[in-house]
Amino acid sequence: MSTAPIRFDPRVLRAPHPVPGAPDNWRRFFTFNTDAKVIGIQYIALALLFLLVGGLLAMIMRGELLTPPADLIDPTVYNGLYTMHGTVMLFLFLFPILNGFNNLLIPPMIGAPDMAFPRLNALAFWMFPLFGVILMASFLVPGGPASSGWWAYPPLSTQNPLGLLVNGQFLWILAVAISGVSSILGAVNFCTTIMRMRAPGMGWFRLPIFCWTALAAQTIQLAGLPVLTAGAVMLLFDLSFGTSFFRPEGGGDPMLYQHFFWFYSHPAVYVMVLPVFGFFSEIFPVYARKPLFGYHVVAIASFGIVLLSLIVWVHHMFTSGTPQWMRHLFMVTTMLIAVPTGIKVFAWLATLWRGKLWLTTAMLFAMGGVFNFIFAGITGVMLATVPVDVHVGNTYFVVGHFHTVIFSTITFGVYAAIYHWFAKFTGRMLYEGLGKVHFLLTFLAAQLNFLPMHWAGLMGMPRRVAAYDPEFALANVLASLGAFLLGVATIPFLLNLVSSWVRGARAPANPWQAIGLEWLLPSPPPAENFEHDVPTVISAPYGYGLGHPLVADQERYEARLQEA
Amino acid sequence: MSDSVSTATGSGATSGPQGSGTPPDRRDPGLDRGAVVLVTLGVGLDLLASRWLMDQVPHWLPPQASTAAPLVDDLFGLEVGIGCFLLLGCTAVMVWTLLFDRTGRYDRDDGEPIEGNLTLEITWTLIPLVLVLLIAWQAIRVNGQLASLGGKVRVAGAAEALRLVGLEGVEEIAAAGGAPGVDAAAGAAAPDHSSALRPAQAGSAAAIAQASERSTAALAAAQRSSPRAAAGATVASPPAGPPPAELGPVVVIARQWSWEFIYPNGVRSGELHLPLNRPVRLRLLSLDVLHGLSIPAFRLRQDVVPGSVIDYRLTPSREGRYRLRDSLFSGAYFAANQTDVVVESEEAFSHWLETALASPLVPNPNLASDLWEQRLRQGNRGWATVAPAAPPLVNAPLDATAPHAG
Amino acid sequence: MAESLLGGSTGPGSGGLPELAAGRHPEGPESRPDEPGGNSLGGHGGHGGHGGHNLTGFVIFLASESLIFAALFAAYIVFKRSSPLWLPPGVEGLEVREPLINTLVLVSSSGVAWLAERALHRRQLGRFRLWWLLTMAMGSWFVLGQAREWMGLPFGLADGVFGACFYLLTGFHGLHVISGVLLMALMLWRSFQPGNYDGGEAGVTAVGLFWHFVDVIWIVLFALLYLWQDR
Ligand code: HEM
Ligand SMILES: [Cu+2]
Repeated sequence: MSTAPIRFDPRVLRAPHPVPGAPDNWRRFFTFNTDAKVIGIQYIALALLFLLVGGLLAMIMRGELLTPPADLIDPTVYNGLYTMHGTVMLFLFLFPILNGFNNLLIPPMIGAPDMAFPRLNALAFWMFPLFGVILMASFLVPGGPASSGWWAYPPLSTQNPLGLLVNGQFLWILAVAISGVSSILGAVNFCTTIMRMRAPGMGWFRLPIFCWTALAAQTIQLAGLPVLTAGAVMLLFDLSFGTSFFRPEGGGDPMLYQHFFWFYSHPAVYVMVLPVFGFFSEIFPVYARKPLFGYHVVAIASFGIVLLSLIVWVHHMFTSGTPQWMRHLFMVTTMLIAVPTGIKVFAWLATLWRGKLWLTTAMLFAMGGVFNFIFAGITGVMLATVPVDVHVGNTYFVVGHFHTVIFSTITFGVYAAIYHWFAKFTGRMLYEGLGKVHFLLTFLAAQLNFLPMHWAGLMGMPRRVAAYDPEFALANVLASLGAFLLGVATIPFLLNLVSSWVRGARAPANPWQAIGLEWLLPSPPPAENFEHDVPTVISAPYGYGLGHPLVADQERYEARLQEA
Repeated sequence: MSDSVSTATGSGATSGPQGSGTPPDRRDPGLDRGAVVLVTLGVGLDLLASRWLMDQVPHWLPPQASTAAPLVDDLFGLEVGIGCFLLLGCTAVMVWTLLFDRTGRYDRDDGEPIEGNLTLEITWTLIPLVLVLLIAWQAIRVNGQLASLGGKVRVAGAAEALRLVGLEGVEEIAAAGGAPGVDAAAGAAAPDHSSALRPAQAGSAAAIAQASERSTAALAAAQRSSPRAAAGATVASPPAGPPPAELGPVVVIARQWSWEFIYPNGVRSGELHLPLNRPVRLRLLSLDVLHGLSIPAFRLRQDVVPGSVIDYRLTPSREGRYRLRDSLFSGAYFAANQTDVVVESEEAFSHWLETALASPLVPNPNLASDLWEQRLRQGNRGWATVAPAAPPLVNAPLDATAPHAG
Repeated sequence: MAESLLGGSTGPGSGGLPELAAGRHPEGPESRPDEPGGNSLGGHGGHGGHGGHNLTGFVIFLASESLIFAALFAAYIVFKRSSPLWLPPGVEGLEVREPLINTLVLVSSSGVAWLAERALHRRQLGRFRLWWLLTMAMGSWFVLGQAREWMGLPFGLADGVFGACFYLLTGFHGLHVISGVLLMALMLWRSFQPGNYDGGEAGVTAVGLFWHFVDVIWIVLFALLYLWQDR
């Protein structure tokens, strides 16, 4: 072990995949690069591109819904658009962008040089453009894209009106299946990395919460995706090869598909939200300048959520002929999720309490996200209550609920993470002024967009309609205005990203004076992070105000950063 | 967990106050009399605000038109109250920190290094636990009172479902009615047409009565878990006499994209007429894809599943005309797949039923078909869809112009 | 798939192994990488050859994969117990005798694979190849037998939910057997590369594991499809 300070030279890459001229060489982002940090940025950039695509689809939908009749576009087109909107946002935006953060954050946070299986990692990434292109191509096939919703419930999804082998639904299933394979490969990689490649001294209870939540989320992927895959294969066979798995005429049962679908797709929402819980848990201590309140419990609660999330799926099927006892059972399990989730929320609030709040854009997005999440958790418990769900299920109330989670919490968390870690991984500072404009617009627009949806749902407006009765007009106009404003709100964000990356101020190694292994690396970190000089972790994370070092010889690492 | 304790105490030895078990000598300076007053005041305000919001709940909902509605609304109101209390409480904490715990621009000091507090953590684990269990318990009670779920019988496809409820002919009737060139007037007047239809309808009352007994037995057997439901199921529906305990079963047929209601006496209708305050049993089946029967004013909803025949019970409690919507996405003209429920007095209902029985079958007005025709006229642009099923032939068509109350 | 998993590892495998992390790990600043219990970083900057990671990854993958089968089994059981239609008209049931022989071959091939692994462990390369080849032959026999059975059946994929389940389950399992044989072929080919086992035998261990997995799945499948025929 050398004691002399080593200077990092990012150009000297020790990875088995030398890339000349890194990190200024942008070309590596378009190659089969096996460096987790390159892959992370690839994921994030492409996912943001698809965020724009999905957003565009949403704008057209909200345009249609400005007025009660279906006058802007044909109802079939509306159905295709909403199906693709949901699919793009889930499979081409959220899952990939979160995998991007896994790639960027996990190795530096645990002091590993890279993922356990770098080539597998690159392979998993390159499936993403592949299924992205397949899904986009489905707009061009005769008959249009899939239009049976992101649930793709049979027998509707297997009706295949034109009778062609290659149709929108077929391409949809193909894309989702490839995405599933990619996610499983990713999950194997992330889990192995976290389990086997932690820095010396980093026991489980010295692991940053983001890694806990990532591990929890990837565990869900490993447990749930295979079941979805089985369902998707059966669906594909029904659609293309005339089998009867879900066709009553041949003795099949459409309900079984719903079980398969939700057995994965309920936990999937936690795959998305758990890493965001991780972001919140990382970000609050930094900008409140306090240790994370109840670190151990917050860490363990992640796995409480994993266990519960696997046994609640029937709450999406309360009215599909589910017997009473099953409804009651799954109502109770669903409600129990509020407990570990509540633990986390209260822990964040207690972390803020008596802190020294530093209201950066990242902090604002995190606080806004938690506020929205509390709201969504409450509507979630309402939806879990069987008699209430019988009234509001499959209405806009549900649409309001899950957009408040998926956009106003998860996407807020993703924005927070971008503002927090952009400097670390690009070496440039984002412009805070534009960031705050972005936050303000996004927060207001999100409320305007999603709050009226709850009201429309309570009044009885079904979801997935291209036309509606006039009594819902006000709520829909408000929601549409909110949606357009949300579109406007992304402009400062994109401007900020592009201009900062090109000509933003050079970022210091630790602009937020944060505690964590990744902040002991230069910005951007060299290809193999700590290379052979991996620090030994000697205390739990988030030691703000405790005055003890995170790693042995911390001064040496800090001094090295000063030199770099 | 022992590891956690050792970590906390281990690092605590070197500096500052530590989490689990706040040291008694260093009392939280916030816990003075002022704080107590402030917190009490805050909680009081929070309670008042939540109470006020609960009172607003009726304004957000359609009229209460079934016996289920008040139960559901009360439960929802309870959740609004609890939810509002929690949301405001948490928001207050956040706003407080935003107001009073901000740093100056160049101040980068650390906050108080509080790492945890066992009492607090146990409290906020238990409170939500108790609250959700309370809500769940209440919901289970309400579900028991609603007793809306009937039995469910698996069938191999639409044909078998129709046979089970004694309506083998219904598809042919629909096919005949949907033939090009048949409109409302022709359905009533053309003799060849009615001859095609009459036999099917003449025989239907008896057939349905017979079949409904058979299928009721099957559905009741399917639902042994609920003795109350099975008892209700054995009540037949005699045509006359004192008001029977239960109307039905009224067979509800969902198609892409229409609703059809067939009464025990064979009357077919495009809108669902129900007598006030009388329990009704609906027997739901779909001829194509999944649909959902949803009546927001009743606060009730049940999916209609191809491959299953499902019984569903409800009791209307307020006269008026309400929307009945398809709640489970069913394809291109999903949004158009709605009709009305008409709740009326017992007399008005029997009058309607008699009039309907004497009326000829006509194609029900069907928005989906209209839109489809329009699309075809405009060059069949748009993405692929199956064509709408022919509108059902009914004795009592939907009055599409009448205003609905919710 | 398994190939990329097996070949992919790089970098120093520093890892708080679970047992190190579970509380026995020394807390505090005295923990040094060169002490027992800490993770020594010296000496292995090399790429590849970190069998530990590969096996961990592969076991995780297998566990996940097994859930696809669990889902398919669940579907089969639900259908069999609740479908209004089951065997296609004219079909009485499945013939058991030939599949039983097939089953015996496949199950015993697991034992043969184990012999091969043991031989390798003892550095008896020749024996390893022999046993390994025999395992491959038995696997191929099984696949051929399955194909023969498929040809002779009076029902097809589209014949009701029973036909669909039968072909999906046996077909999906058959694909796994074929992949297993191909992976074994790969391992056999690699065994001729000099120095192949310097970094450990993780590849062979993983493929062996995969083979046992495929076997166990078949036993369940055989019981469900062939032994549980009455309804
Ligand atoms: C306390 C926490 C939560 C509870 C109790 C809860 C409960 C529910 C229930 C019962 C439904 C079904 C509504 C219906 O379709 O009738 C639902 C829908 C949904 N929830 Fe939540 N939820 C919670 C948190 C979340 C989180 C964290 C996410 C996302 C990460 C989420 C995402 C969704 C989505 C996407 C749907 C709708 C899926 C669809 O129908 O397309 N929920 N939630
Ligand atoms: Cu869910």
